[in-house]
Amino acid sequence: MDDGVDTSDTPAEVDATFRTLRRVAVGYFVVFLLAVAAFPVLSLTLDWWSSSRLVGGMSPGFLVAGFGLYVFFAVLGVAAASLSSAVEHRMLGTSREPVDDDVAPGSGEDLP
Amino acid sequence: MTGSAALALAAALALVATVAVVMRPRGASTVDFYLAGQRVGVATNAFAICGDYFSAASFLGVAAAVYATGLDGAWYAVGFAAGFVPVLLFVAAPLRRFGEFSIPDFLGRRLGSETVRLVAVGVVQLVILSYLVPQTVGSGITWELLVGEGVLGLDPYATGILASTAVVTVLVAFGGMRGTTWTQAVQFLLLLGALVWLAATVVAEGFHYGEAVESISSVPLDNPAGSTDGLTPEQSALHPGEPAVFGEPGARYGGLGQFALIVTLAMGTAGLPHVMNRYFTSPTGTAARTTTVWVLCLAGIFYSLAVMLGTAARDLIPAAVADRPWLAELTVDGVLRVPEHALPVLGRIFGEDAGLGVVAAGALVAVLSTIAGLLLAAAASWGHDVYERHINPRATQRQAVLAGRVTTLVTACAAAGLGLAMRPESFAAATPSIVATMVTWAFAVAGSALTPVFVLAIWWRRTTAAGAVAGMVAGLVVAVGMFTAGALTSGGLLREVLVTPTLLAAPVAVVTAVVVSRRTTPPADVERSWQTMHGTAADRRAERIARLMLAERRAARRWRRARR
Repeated sequence: MDDGVDTSDTPAEVDATFRTLRRVAVGYFVVFLLAVAAFPVLSLTLDWWSSSRLVGGMSPGFLVAGFGLYVFFAVLGVAAASLSSAVEHRMLGTSREPVDDDVAPGSGEDLP
Repeated sequence: MTGSAALALAAALALVATVAVVMRPRGASTVDFYLAGQRVGVATNAFAICGDYFSAASFLGVAAAVYATGLDGAWYAVGFAAGFVPVLLFVAAPLRRFGEFSIPDFLGRRLGSETVRLVAVGVVQLVILSYLVPQTVGSGITWELLVGEGVLGLDPYATGILASTAVVTVLVAFGGMRGTTWTQAVQFLLLLGALVWLAATVVAEGFHYGEAVESISSVPLDNPAGSTDGLTPEQSALHPGEPAVFGEPGARYGGLGQFALIVTLAMGTAGLPHVMNRYFTSPTGTAARTTTVWVLCLAGIFYSLAVMLGTAARDLIPAAVADRPWLAELTVDGVLRVPEHALPVLGRIFGEDAGLGVVAAGALVAVLSTIAGLLLAAAASWGHDVYERHINPRATQRQAVLAGRVTTLVTACAAAGLGLAMRPESFAAATPSIVATMVTWAFAVAGSALTPVFVLAIWWRRTTAAGAVAGMVAGLVVAVGMFTAGALTSGGLLREVLVTPTLLAAPVAVVTAVVVSRRTTPPADVERSWQTMHGTAADRRAERIARLMLAERRAARRWRRARR
């Protein structure tokens, strides 16, 4: 049945997508590692980080460990997933995809 | 146990059992038994992954670690939540697109080697057993506190372990992945509900988070000193000679120790067999990725509440001892002897016996759902990777499913036996939370032996079977060796790094796998594997079929309406 959807990706398309996604993943992972490593570094170097009191009596360190890092992980996850899916959408399977109502005409122009 | 506590517990268990029976697999196919037909939606799978992942270590252990060591205990929560970032970035979508039944199955087929498959089965079983034992310990602790009585001459701790293991083994053996997915989703909602209820109750009773942190941080952090009566102040690992303080880092870990713990937990998640197997149940790679985003958000809510409640327990329990005689035997000068009692005790203080019932039901549900996921992962790797591939390659679907069911029984018995041999009181002085600490061992083995090889197999074409085997063995040997050395070493920076070995063991595994892979030949069909893992053709086909089915259903509905 030919319903207008590409049933396979070419090796060149997949390789280009793979390399782009690898850059995205490594980039976000470095940001993640820096954020996680920053906490102990700040604990060791800045007294203010552990002993000052901000919102409701909590130190900046406690606020980050109690709330901030979870928000950071979620935002990082949303951003990385959106970018990865967008990369796949633009680089794979759009050459013969039928134009849906929600897909702008000519969206395949940027294909490698 | 009073009537209200029993009612809360019975209601939770009855709900879970009903879901398991209603959603049991209809056929005898292994795809249905192990992978729920690969049709689990994003929200359901996210809830099920949370049910799988948020174990006794998350529910009882994180609050206990915060209770005992303040801010340093929060590193468990941060590490557990952080684990899904590497999963999202490196594993979720390609793993699902490649398909298969389990981690050993994935590695075996990607690298075209039965040796890789069998070595991975060994590592996976070690991870599963390391993860199962603390769950059984958690169930023993909860039963001890909730029911307080044993049956058939057993003490309450042993009764809790045997009862919970028996119940979940039956649910898994008959429910398979389909039933387990839905029970885990319901179990997570019950678990989150218990946590939200407790948090809302303590806040409504006047608990102020910030003021509590400030108040308990104004005095040194004291904990019961082993078996002797009285409290001893914790010493700061960051500032030698100074007492540790609740709201500041240093009660347990130095700077490197904090980082090593988070890396161990974060890297371990991607190698946890029961969590990774869930990704095979998603309909597409994109759905698997979206599921992980949901899990990250849910994990943030769950762990921030757990940290808050650990703080609340530290702040509120000392003042509650005077009016509540039952607290006297659980505490030393207002501090709990067993930190894992923090949430159940808080529940009883603010909700009387019904409150204890709600929290204990949450704890048992956390234990049951994680044990269920682990037993299924054990069944998939023994039943599919060993029995179907090596013992009886001509097995019928019925025989393969039976092998999976027998495996769940054997694994459950082994975990229960080890849980019975361990008593949390014996470890209270050595670790902030024995449940959370034991789970860390599982994360360390997974993150040192499985995750590096797993990520290389997905992202590096040159990975070979020999390289993967060498990497897994090197990571495992270094991790177990460091653990053993850590157990024999007294405090200090060296011990901190030894007991959270992934920071060193994972790079050793990567270097070993890369060096050996460069000297051997990669599989011939690597390009085809790349097309499957990193291409989206299968996703597009699945989405197209789903759209067509939806349109067909809508058309049929319109036609039926028109006929009426």
